[in-house]
Amino acid sequence: MSKQKIPLRVLKSLRGLLLPAVLLGLWEYTSHRDAAHAFAFAPLEQVYGALRELLAGGDLWVNLLGSLQRASTGLLTGAVAGIAIGLLMAFSRIALTLINPLYQGIRQVPLLGLTPLISLWLGNGEPSKLFIIALAAFYPMVLNTYEGLRQVDLRYREVGQAYGFGRVLLFRRVLLPAALPSLLTGLQQAVPFAWLAAIGGELIFNAGAGLGNLMMSAELGARMDVIVVCAISITLLGIGMSQLLSLASSRLLRWQHIR
Amino acid sequence: MSKSAVIGWHWPAITFNPRYTGWLASWISPLALLLAWVLVCRAQWFPEQILVSPQDVADSARDLWSSGDLQDALRVSLYRLALGFSLGSLLGIAAGALLAHSETARIYFSPTFNALRQVPTLALTPLFILIFGIGETLKIVIILKATFFPVAIATREGVRSIPRQYLEVGEAYCLSSWQQFRRIIFPATVPAVLTGIRIALGRSWMILVAVELLAADSGIGQIMEMGRQMLRIDQVMVGVFLTGLIGFSLDRSLRLLERWLLRWRHQG
Repeated sequence: MSKQKIPLRVLKSLRGLLLPAVLLGLWEYTSHRDAAHAFAFAPLEQVYGALRELLAGGDLWVNLLGSLQRASTGLLTGAVAGIAIGLLMAFSRIALTLINPLYQGIRQVPLLGLTPLISLWLGNGEPSKLFIIALAAFYPMVLNTYEGLRQVDLRYREVGQAYGFGRVLLFRRVLLPAALPSLLTGLQQAVPFAWLAAIGGELIFNAGAGLGNLMMSAELGARMDVIVVCAISITLLGIGMSQLLSLASSRLLRWQHIR
Repeated sequence: MSKSAVIGWHWPAITFNPRYTGWLASWISPLALLLAWVLVCRAQWFPEQILVSPQDVADSARDLWSSGDLQDALRVSLYRLALGFSLGSLLGIAAGALLAHSETARIYFSPTFNALRQVPTLALTPLFILIFGIGETLKIVIILKATFFPVAIATREGVRSIPRQYLEVGEAYCLSSWQQFRRIIFPATVPAVLTGIRIALGRSWMILVAVELLAADSGIGQIMEMGRQMLRIDQVMVGVFLTGLIGFSLDRSLRLLERWLLRWRHQG
Protein backbone atom coordinates (compact mmCIF):
# COMPACT_ATOMS: atom_id res chain seq x y z
CA MET A 1 0.00 0.00 0.00
CA SER A 2 2.78 2.37 0.91
CA LYS A 3 4.36 1.61 -2.45
CA GLN A 4 1.43 3.25 -4.18
CA LYS A 5 1.27 6.18 -1.78
CA ILE A 6 4.77 7.47 -2.39
CA PRO A 7 4.50 7.94 -6.17
CA LEU A 8 1.16 9.63 -5.63
CA ARG A 9 2.69 12.13 -3.22
CA VAL A 10 5.58 12.76 -5.59
CA LEU A 11 3.09 13.34 -8.36
CA LYS A 12 1.13 15.73 -6.17
CA SER A 13 4.18 17.81 -5.33
CA LEU A 14 5.10 17.85 -9.01
CA ARG A 15 1.86 19.68 -9.75
CA GLY A 16 3.28 22.70 -7.95
CA LEU A 17 6.10 22.77 -10.49
CA LEU A 18 3.71 22.87 -13.43
CA LEU A 19 3.20 26.64 -13.34
CA PRO A 20 6.91 27.52 -13.07
CA ALA A 21 7.59 25.14 -15.96
CA VAL A 22 4.90 26.79 -18.08
CA LEU A 23 6.22 30.26 -17.24
CA LEU A 24 9.80 29.31 -18.05
CA GLY A 25 8.59 27.74 -21.30
CA LEU A 26 6.79 30.95 -22.21
CA TRP A 27 9.88 32.99 -21.39
CA GLU A 28 12.02 30.70 -23.55
CA TYR A 29 9.48 30.79 -26.38
CA THR A 30 9.27 34.60 -26.29
CA SER A 31 13.04 34.94 -26.27
CA HIS A 32 13.34 32.93 -29.47
CA ARG A 33 10.63 34.75 -31.40
CA ASP A 34 12.72 37.58 -32.78
CA ALA A 35 15.59 39.89 -31.95
CA ALA A 36 13.36 42.49 -30.27
CA HIS A 37 12.05 39.90 -27.84
CA ALA A 38 15.45 38.33 -27.28
CA PHE A 39 16.56 41.78 -26.13
CA ALA A 40 14.17 41.81 -23.19
CA PHE A 41 13.74 38.09 -22.55
CA ALA A 42 17.20 36.58 -22.58
CA PRO A 43 17.10 32.87 -23.51
CA LEU A 44 17.61 30.61 -20.49
CA GLU A 45 20.78 29.08 -21.92
CA GLN A 46 22.16 32.59 -22.18
CA VAL A 47 21.28 33.26 -18.52
CA TYR A 48 23.13 30.08 -17.59
CA GLY A 49 26.03 31.22 -19.76
CA ALA A 50 26.06 34.58 -17.98
CA LEU A 51 26.10 32.83 -14.61
CA ARG A 52 29.11 30.72 -15.65
CA GLU A 53 30.82 33.75 -17.13
CA LEU A 54 30.24 35.84 -13.98
CA LEU A 55 31.42 33.00 -11.75
CA ALA A 56 34.50 32.28 -13.81
CA GLY A 57 35.47 35.93 -14.16
CA GLY A 58 34.93 36.44 -10.43
CA ASP A 59 32.56 39.37 -11.07
CA LEU A 60 29.73 37.79 -9.16
CA TRP A 61 31.87 37.07 -6.09
CA VAL A 62 33.43 40.53 -6.02
CA ASN A 63 30.08 42.32 -6.27
CA LEU A 64 28.30 39.90 -3.99
CA LEU A 65 30.92 40.27 -1.29
CA GLY A 66 30.89 44.03 -1.82
CA SER A 67 27.15 44.18 -1.19
CA LEU A 68 27.28 41.81 1.75
CA GLN A 69 30.13 43.65 3.42
CA ARG A 70 28.43 47.00 2.94
CA ALA A 71 25.10 45.67 4.19
CA SER A 72 26.62 44.14 7.31
CA THR A 73 28.68 47.23 8.18
CA GLY A 74 25.63 49.46 7.77
CA LEU A 75 23.40 47.02 9.61
CA LEU A 76 25.78 46.78 12.55
CA THR A 77 26.20 50.56 12.82
CA GLY A 78 22.49 51.23 12.51
CA ALA A 79 21.48 48.49 14.92
CA VAL A 80 23.96 49.59 17.60
CA ALA A 81 22.87 53.22 17.26
CA GLY A 82 19.21 52.17 17.28
CA ILE A 83 19.63 50.08 20.43
CA ALA A 84 21.48 52.94 22.13
CA ILE A 85 18.75 55.47 21.30
CA GLY A 86 16.05 52.97 22.24
CA LEU A 87 17.71 52.39 25.64
CA LEU A 88 18.02 56.10 26.19
CA MET A 89 14.35 56.61 25.40
CA ALA A 90 13.30 53.76 27.66
CA PHE A 91 15.27 54.94 30.67
CA SER A 92 14.99 58.71 30.45
CA ARG A 93 11.71 60.53 30.10
CA ILE A 94 13.52 63.70 29.00
CA ALA A 95 15.29 61.82 26.21
CA LEU A 96 11.97 60.29 25.19
CA THR A 97 10.26 63.68 25.05
CA LEU A 98 13.06 65.21 23.01
CA ILE A 99 13.94 62.35 20.65
CA ASN A 100 10.56 60.79 19.96
CA PRO A 101 9.02 63.69 17.94
CA LEU A 102 12.12 63.96 15.74
CA TYR A 103 12.28 60.19 15.26
CA GLN A 104 8.61 59.96 14.34
CA GLY A 105 8.96 62.92 11.98
CA ILE A 106 12.02 61.76 10.08
CA ARG A 107 10.84 58.21 9.59
CA GLN A 108 7.75 59.41 7.71
CA VAL A 109 9.99 60.18 4.74
CA PRO A 110 10.26 57.11 2.48
CA LEU A 111 13.79 55.84 3.09
CA LEU A 112 15.02 56.00 -0.50
CA GLY A 113 13.38 59.43 -0.89
CA LEU A 114 16.17 60.69 1.35
CA THR A 115 18.86 59.65 -1.12
CA PRO A 116 18.99 62.94 -3.12
CA LEU A 117 19.53 64.89 0.10
CA ILE A 118 22.12 62.44 1.37
CA SER A 119 23.84 62.54 -1.98
CA LEU A 120 24.20 66.33 -1.74
CA TRP A 121 25.52 66.10 1.81
CA LEU A 122 27.73 63.01 1.69
CA GLY A 123 28.42 62.59 -2.03
CA ASN A 124 27.70 59.59 -4.21
CA GLY A 125 30.20 57.23 -2.69
CA GLU A 126 30.44 54.72 0.12
CA PRO A 127 29.37 57.00 3.03
CA SER A 128 25.99 57.68 1.43
CA LYS A 129 25.26 54.01 0.85
CA LEU A 130 26.31 53.08 4.37
CA PHE A 131 24.18 55.85 5.81
CA ILE A 132 21.04 54.64 4.03
CA ILE A 133 21.60 51.05 5.18
CA ALA A 134 22.32 52.16 8.74
CA LEU A 135 19.15 54.27 8.76
CA ALA A 136 17.11 51.30 7.53
CA ALA A 137 18.38 49.21 10.45
CA PHE A 138 18.12 52.10 12.90
CA TYR A 139 14.36 52.72 12.62
CA PRO A 140 13.06 49.29 13.68
CA MET A 141 15.77 48.84 16.32
CA VAL A 142 14.88 52.07 18.16
CA LEU A 143 11.22 51.17 18.30
CA ASN A 144 11.64 47.54 19.31
CA THR A 145 14.30 48.26 21.93
CA TYR A 146 12.08 50.90 23.49
CA GLU A 147 8.95 48.76 23.34
CA GLY A 148 10.79 45.70 24.64
CA LEU A 149 12.06 47.49 27.72
CA ARG A 150 8.80 49.35 28.34
CA GLN A 151 6.78 46.20 28.36
CA VAL A 152 8.86 44.34 30.93
CA ASP A 153 6.44 43.08 33.51
CA LEU A 154 6.60 45.16 36.68
CA ARG A 155 6.53 41.95 38.71
CA TYR A 156 9.85 40.87 37.19
CA ARG A 157 11.43 44.14 38.29
CA GLU A 158 10.01 43.65 41.75
CA VAL A 159 11.48 40.16 41.97
CA GLY A 160 14.82 41.63 40.98
CA GLN A 161 14.53 44.29 43.63
CA ALA A 162 13.52 41.70 46.19
CA TYR A 163 16.76 39.87 45.43
CA GLY A 164 18.57 43.13 46.11
CA PHE A 165 19.86 43.47 42.52
CA GLY A 166 21.64 46.72 41.75
CA ARG A 167 20.99 48.62 38.51
CA VAL A 168 23.54 46.62 36.50
CA LEU A 169 22.40 43.26 37.76
CA LEU A 170 18.75 44.20 37.29
CA PHE A 171 19.49 45.11 33.69
CA ARG A 172 21.50 41.97 32.96
CA ARG A 173 19.36 39.44 34.78
CA VAL A 174 15.86 40.88 34.39
CA LEU A 175 15.44 43.63 31.81
CA LEU A 176 17.70 42.31 29.07
CA PRO A 177 16.31 38.76 28.96
CA ALA A 178 12.76 40.10 29.13
CA ALA A 179 13.39 42.53 26.26
CA LEU A 180 15.32 40.03 24.15
CA PRO A 181 12.33 38.74 22.12
CA SER A 182 11.45 42.29 21.15
CA LEU A 183 15.07 43.09 20.25
CA LEU A 184 15.19 40.02 18.02
CA THR A 185 11.90 41.01 16.39
CA GLY A 186 13.51 44.37 15.66
CA LEU A 187 16.48 42.63 14.10
CA GLN A 188 14.19 40.46 12.00
CA GLN A 189 12.64 43.64 10.62
CA ALA A 190 15.98 45.41 10.30
CA VAL A 191 17.83 42.76 8.31
CA PRO A 192 15.55 42.51 5.23
CA PHE A 193 15.01 46.27 5.25
CA ALA A 194 18.75 46.94 5.42
CA TRP A 195 19.37 44.46 2.60
CA LEU A 196 16.76 46.23 0.49
CA ALA A 197 18.33 49.60 1.33
CA ALA A 198 21.73 48.23 0.31
CA ILE A 199 20.41 47.18 -3.09
CA GLY A 200 18.41 50.41 -3.54
CA GLY A 201 21.38 52.52 -2.52
CA GLU A 202 23.61 50.70 -5.00
CA LEU A 203 21.07 51.21 -7.78
CA ILE A 204 20.85 54.93 -7.05
CA PHE A 205 24.47 55.70 -6.09
CA ASN A 206 26.15 53.89 -8.91
CA ALA A 207 29.78 53.50 -7.84
CA GLY A 208 31.91 50.77 -6.31
CA ALA A 209 31.39 47.01 -6.13
CA GLY A 210 27.92 45.67 -5.43
CA LEU A 211 25.13 43.61 -6.93
CA GLY A 212 23.06 46.76 -7.50
CA ASN A 213 25.90 48.34 -9.45
CA LEU A 214 26.41 45.19 -11.49
CA MET A 215 22.69 45.28 -12.32
CA MET A 216 22.72 48.95 -13.26
CA SER A 217 25.66 48.56 -15.62
CA ALA A 218 24.02 45.44 -17.07
CA GLU A 219 20.89 47.49 -17.65
CA LEU A 220 22.86 50.12 -19.56
CA GLY A 221 24.38 47.37 -21.69
CA ALA A 222 20.96 45.69 -22.07
CA ARG A 223 22.35 42.46 -20.61
CA MET A 224 19.14 40.84 -19.39
CA ASP A 225 20.97 37.59 -18.63
CA VAL A 226 23.25 39.34 -16.11
CA ILE A 227 20.29 41.15 -14.55
CA VAL A 228 18.43 37.88 -14.03
CA VAL A 229 21.48 36.30 -12.38
CA CYS A 230 21.79 39.34 -10.06
CA ALA A 231 18.09 39.40 -9.16
CA ILE A 232 18.20 35.71 -8.25
CA SER A 233 21.37 36.18 -6.18
CA ILE A 234 19.83 39.11 -4.30
CA THR A 235 16.70 37.09 -3.57
CA LEU A 236 18.61 34.01 -2.40
CA LEU A 237 20.90 36.05 -0.16
CA GLY A 238 17.89 37.82 1.35
CA ILE A 239 16.18 34.51 2.08
CA GLY A 240 19.41 33.12 3.52
CA MET A 241 19.86 36.04 5.90
CA SER A 242 16.30 35.86 7.21
CA GLN A 243 16.52 32.08 7.68
CA LEU A 244 19.83 32.37 9.51
CA LEU A 245 18.42 35.04 11.78
CA SER A 246 15.25 33.18 12.65
CA LEU A 247 17.35 30.08 13.37
CA ALA A 248 19.59 32.10 15.65
CA SER A 249 16.68 33.74 17.43
CA SER A 250 14.85 30.48 18.05
CA ARG A 251 18.08 29.17 19.62
CA LEU A 252 18.45 32.30 21.75
CA LEU A 253 14.83 32.14 22.81
CA ARG A 254 14.62 28.41 23.44
CA TRP A 255 14.04 29.06 27.15
CA GLN A 256 10.70 30.59 26.19
CA HIS A 257 9.22 27.22 25.37
CA ILE A 258 10.39 25.48 28.53
CA ARG A 259 8.19 26.52 31.41
CA MET B 1 6.12 33.73 13.81
CA SER B 2 5.98 37.51 13.91
CA LYS B 3 3.80 39.38 11.45
CA SER B 4 6.84 40.86 9.76
CA ALA B 5 8.19 37.41 9.05
CA VAL B 6 5.01 36.68 7.12
CA ILE B 7 4.48 39.94 5.26
CA GLY B 8 8.08 41.07 4.89
CA TRP B 9 9.73 44.31 5.91
CA HIS B 10 7.65 47.15 7.17
CA TRP B 11 7.86 49.69 9.91
CA PRO B 12 5.88 48.69 12.92
CA ALA B 13 2.98 50.73 14.18
CA ILE B 14 3.58 53.76 16.34
CA THR B 15 2.41 52.85 19.81
CA PHE B 16 4.15 55.37 22.00
CA ASN B 17 1.98 56.22 24.92
CA PRO B 18 0.97 59.89 24.82
CA ARG B 19 0.99 59.87 28.59
CA TYR B 20 4.77 59.81 28.57
CA THR B 21 5.20 62.51 25.97
CA GLY B 22 3.06 65.49 26.70
CA TRP B 23 1.60 67.14 23.65
CA LEU B 24 3.25 70.47 24.34
CA ALA B 25 6.58 69.03 25.40
CA SER B 26 6.83 67.11 22.14
CA TRP B 27 7.21 70.42 20.30
CA ILE B 28 10.40 71.36 22.19
CA SER B 29 12.89 69.44 20.09
CA PRO B 30 11.40 70.17 16.64
CA LEU B 31 11.28 73.89 17.45
CA ALA B 32 14.82 73.77 18.82
CA LEU B 33 15.96 72.07 15.63
CA LEU B 34 14.23 74.71 13.51
CA LEU B 35 15.84 77.48 15.54
CA ALA B 36 19.26 75.85 15.20
CA TRP B 37 18.68 75.55 11.45
CA VAL B 38 17.87 79.28 11.17
CA LEU B 39 20.83 80.30 13.34
CA VAL B 40 23.33 78.09 11.52
CA CYS B 41 22.19 79.58 8.22
CA ARG B 42 22.48 83.12 9.60
CA ALA B 43 26.02 82.36 10.73
CA GLN B 44 26.78 80.99 7.26
CA TRP B 45 28.73 78.01 8.55
CA PHE B 46 27.95 75.94 5.48
CA PRO B 47 27.99 76.85 1.77
CA GLU B 48 24.68 77.17 -0.02
CA GLN B 49 24.99 73.79 -1.77
CA ILE B 50 25.01 72.10 1.63
CA LEU B 51 22.47 74.00 3.68
CA VAL B 52 19.86 76.60 2.83
CA SER B 53 17.59 78.39 5.26
CA PRO B 54 13.99 77.30 5.96
CA GLN B 55 12.95 80.56 4.28
CA ASP B 56 14.67 79.48 1.04
CA VAL B 57 12.96 76.10 1.16
CA ALA B 58 9.58 77.77 1.62
CA ASP B 59 10.34 80.18 -1.26
CA SER B 60 11.35 77.29 -3.47
CA ALA B 61 8.11 75.49 -2.64
CA ARG B 62 6.15 78.62 -3.53
CA ASP B 63 8.01 78.99 -6.85
CA LEU B 64 7.41 75.35 -7.76
CA TRP B 65 3.75 75.78 -6.87
CA SER B 66 3.16 79.00 -8.82
CA SER B 67 4.88 77.62 -11.92
CA GLY B 68 2.56 74.60 -11.70
CA ASP B 69 5.45 72.10 -11.71
CA LEU B 70 4.67 70.87 -8.25
CA GLN B 71 0.99 70.20 -8.92
CA ASP B 72 1.89 68.35 -12.13
CA ALA B 73 4.45 66.20 -10.35
CA LEU B 74 2.08 65.40 -7.49
CA ARG B 75 -0.76 64.59 -9.84
CA VAL B 76 1.44 62.25 -11.90
CA SER B 77 2.91 60.49 -8.85
CA LEU B 78 -0.40 60.08 -7.04
CA TYR B 79 -2.09 58.85 -10.21
CA ARG B 80 0.59 56.18 -10.64
CA LEU B 81 0.23 55.18 -7.02
CA ALA B 82 -3.57 55.05 -7.19
CA LEU B 83 -3.69 52.97 -10.37
CA GLY B 84 -0.94 50.49 -9.48
CA PHE B 85 -2.11 50.23 -5.91
CA SER B 86 -5.78 49.59 -6.66
CA LEU B 87 -4.96 47.00 -9.33
CA GLY B 88 -2.45 45.33 -7.01
CA SER B 89 -4.86 45.31 -4.06
CA LEU B 90 -7.76 43.88 -6.03
CA LEU B 91 -5.62 41.15 -7.59
CA GLY B 92 -3.98 40.53 -4.20
CA ILE B 93 -7.30 40.09 -2.41
CA ALA B 94 -8.54 37.76 -5.15
CA ALA B 95 -5.36 35.69 -5.13
CA GLY B 96 -5.20 35.55 -1.34
CA ALA B 97 -8.83 34.43 -1.07
CA LEU B 98 -8.29 31.82 -3.77
CA LEU B 99 -5.15 30.45 -2.10
CA ALA B 100 -6.91 30.22 1.26
CA HIS B 101 -10.11 28.76 -0.09
CA SER B 102 -9.20 26.28 -2.78
CA GLU B 103 -7.00 23.26 -2.22
CA THR B 104 -6.42 22.95 -5.96
CA ALA B 105 -5.24 26.54 -6.26
CA ARG B 106 -2.91 25.95 -3.34
CA ILE B 107 -1.37 22.86 -4.93
CA TYR B 108 -0.79 24.51 -8.30
CA PHE B 109 0.06 28.09 -7.35
CA SER B 110 1.58 28.09 -3.85
CA PRO B 111 5.16 27.13 -4.78
CA THR B 112 5.32 29.80 -7.50
CA PHE B 113 3.63 32.36 -5.25
CA ASN B 114 5.98 31.67 -2.34
CA ALA B 115 9.05 31.87 -4.54
CA LEU B 116 8.06 35.09 -6.30
CA ARG B 117 7.09 36.90 -3.12
CA GLN B 118 10.66 36.58 -1.88
CA VAL B 119 12.01 38.65 -4.78
CA PRO B 120 12.56 42.24 -3.63
CA THR B 121 10.69 44.69 -5.86
CA LEU B 122 13.71 46.95 -6.14
CA ALA B 123 15.83 44.08 -7.45
CA LEU B 124 13.28 43.65 -10.23
CA THR B 125 13.47 47.29 -11.31
CA PRO B 126 16.31 46.91 -13.86
CA LEU B 127 14.63 43.79 -15.23
CA PHE B 128 11.31 45.59 -15.62
CA ILE B 129 13.06 48.56 -17.24
CA LEU B 130 14.40 46.29 -19.99
CA ILE B 131 11.01 44.65 -20.51
CA PHE B 132 8.67 47.65 -20.19
CA GLY B 133 10.96 50.57 -20.97
CA ILE B 134 10.98 53.58 -18.65
CA GLY B 135 7.44 54.76 -19.42
CA GLU B 136 4.23 54.74 -17.41
CA THR B 137 3.83 50.94 -17.65
CA LEU B 138 7.03 50.42 -15.67
CA LYS B 139 5.80 52.39 -12.66
CA ILE B 140 2.35 50.83 -12.67
CA VAL B 141 3.77 47.30 -12.92
CA ILE B 142 6.29 47.92 -10.14
CA ILE B 143 3.65 49.33 -7.78
CA LEU B 144 1.34 46.48 -8.71
CA LYS B 145 4.06 44.00 -7.75
CA ALA B 146 4.87 45.87 -4.53
CA THR B 147 1.19 45.88 -3.52
CA PHE B 148 0.07 42.46 -4.71
CA PHE B 149 2.13 40.22 -2.45
CA PRO B 150 1.59 41.80 0.98
CA VAL B 151 -2.15 42.14 0.31
CA ALA B 152 -2.42 38.57 -0.98
CA ILE B 153 -0.53 37.20 2.04
CA ALA B 154 -2.61 39.23 4.50
CA THR B 155 -5.84 38.08 2.85
CA ARG B 156 -4.71 34.45 2.82
CA GLU B 157 -3.78 34.55 6.50
CA GLY B 158 -6.98 36.43 7.33
CA VAL B 159 -9.26 33.90 5.67
CA ARG B 160 -7.31 30.98 7.09
CA SER B 161 -7.50 32.24 10.63
CA ILE B 162 -11.29 32.41 10.76
CA PRO B 163 -12.23 30.09 13.64
CA ARG B 164 -14.03 26.94 12.47
CA GLN B 165 -16.83 27.60 14.95
CA TYR B 166 -17.86 30.76 13.10
CA LEU B 167 -18.39 28.81 9.90
CA GLU B 168 -20.22 26.09 11.80
CA VAL B 169 -22.57 28.67 13.27
CA GLY B 170 -23.23 29.84 9.72
CA GLU B 171 -24.03 26.29 8.67
CA ALA B 172 -26.32 25.86 11.63
CA TYR B 173 -28.20 28.96 10.52
CA CYS B 174 -28.38 27.49 6.99
CA LEU B 175 -26.78 30.56 5.42
CA SER B 176 -26.32 30.54 1.66
CA SER B 177 -22.70 30.86 0.47
CA TRP B 178 -23.27 34.53 -0.33
CA GLN B 179 -24.66 35.15 3.17
CA GLN B 180 -21.83 33.09 4.62
CA PHE B 181 -19.40 35.37 2.84
CA ARG B 182 -21.25 38.59 3.63
CA ARG B 183 -21.97 37.85 7.30
CA ILE B 184 -19.00 35.78 8.42
CA ILE B 185 -16.00 35.57 6.11
CA PHE B 186 -15.93 39.22 5.05
CA PRO B 187 -16.18 40.84 8.50
CA ALA B 188 -13.72 38.34 9.96
CA THR B 189 -11.09 39.02 7.29
CA VAL B 190 -11.36 42.81 7.07
CA PRO B 191 -8.89 43.63 9.88
CA ALA B 192 -6.09 41.46 8.45
CA VAL B 193 -6.66 42.66 4.89
CA LEU B 194 -6.67 46.31 5.95
CA THR B 195 -3.40 45.89 7.81
CA GLY B 196 -1.89 44.27 4.72
CA ILE B 197 -3.20 47.09 2.55
CA ARG B 198 -1.77 49.76 4.83
CA ILE B 199 1.66 48.13 4.87
CA ALA B 200 1.51 47.69 1.10
CA LEU B 201 0.59 51.34 0.59
CA GLY B 202 3.55 52.63 2.59
CA ARG B 203 5.87 50.29 0.78
CA SER B 204 4.48 51.16 -2.65
CA TRP B 205 4.95 54.85 -1.97
CA MET B 206 8.60 54.33 -1.10
CA ILE B 207 9.20 52.12 -4.14
CA LEU B 208 7.48 54.64 -6.42
CA VAL B 209 9.65 57.51 -5.16
CA ALA B 210 12.74 55.32 -5.65
CA VAL B 211 11.74 54.35 -9.18
CA GLU B 212 11.01 57.97 -10.05
CA LEU B 213 14.50 58.84 -8.83
CA LEU B 214 15.97 56.08 -10.99
CA ALA B 215 13.98 56.37 -14.18
CA ALA B 216 11.37 59.03 -14.73
CA ASP B 217 10.64 62.15 -16.68
CA SER B 218 7.95 63.31 -14.28
CA GLY B 219 6.73 62.93 -10.73
CA ILE B 220 7.84 64.07 -7.31
CA GLY B 221 10.90 61.80 -7.38
CA GLN B 222 12.02 63.36 -10.63
CA ILE B 223 11.77 66.87 -9.12
CA MET B 224 14.09 65.73 -6.35
CA GLU B 225 16.48 64.06 -8.76
CA MET B 226 16.59 67.20 -10.92
CA GLY B 227 17.21 69.31 -7.82
CA ARG B 228 20.07 67.01 -6.89
CA GLN B 229 21.67 67.24 -10.31
CA MET B 230 21.43 71.04 -10.32
CA LEU B 231 22.67 71.22 -6.72
CA ARG B 232 19.39 72.88 -5.74
CA ILE B 233 19.16 71.64 -2.17
CA ASP B 234 16.09 73.81 -1.52
CA GLN B 235 14.20 71.91 -4.21
CA VAL B 236 15.39 68.56 -2.85
CA MET B 237 14.19 69.50 0.63
CA VAL B 238 10.78 70.50 -0.68
CA GLY B 239 10.58 67.00 -2.16
CA VAL B 240 11.72 65.33 1.07
CA PHE B 241 9.10 67.20 3.10
CA LEU B 242 6.35 66.47 0.61
CA THR B 243 7.09 62.74 0.26
CA GLY B 244 7.14 62.49 4.04
CA LEU B 245 3.89 64.39 4.36
CA ILE B 246 2.17 62.28 1.72
CA GLY B 247 3.44 59.03 3.22
CA PHE B 248 2.21 60.14 6.64
CA SER B 249 -1.23 61.20 5.35
CA LEU B 250 -1.74 57.96 3.44
CA ASP B 251 -0.87 55.90 6.49
CA ARG B 252 -3.00 58.04 8.80
CA SER B 253 -6.07 57.95 6.57
CA LEU B 254 -5.92 54.17 6.29
CA ARG B 255 -5.60 53.91 10.06
CA LEU B 256 -8.70 56.10 10.43
CA LEU B 257 -10.54 53.94 7.89
CA GLU B 258 -9.50 50.86 9.85
CA ARG B 259 -10.83 52.34 13.06
CA TRP B 260 -14.07 53.41 11.41
CA LEU B 261 -14.68 50.02 9.81
CA LEU B 262 -13.86 48.19 13.00
CA ARG B 263 -15.84 50.47 15.30
CA TRP B 264 -18.22 47.60 16.14
CA ARG B 265 -15.34 45.88 17.90
CA HIS B 266 -15.08 48.51 20.59
CA GLN B 267 -18.79 48.69 21.22
CA GLY B 268 -18.41 45.27 22.82
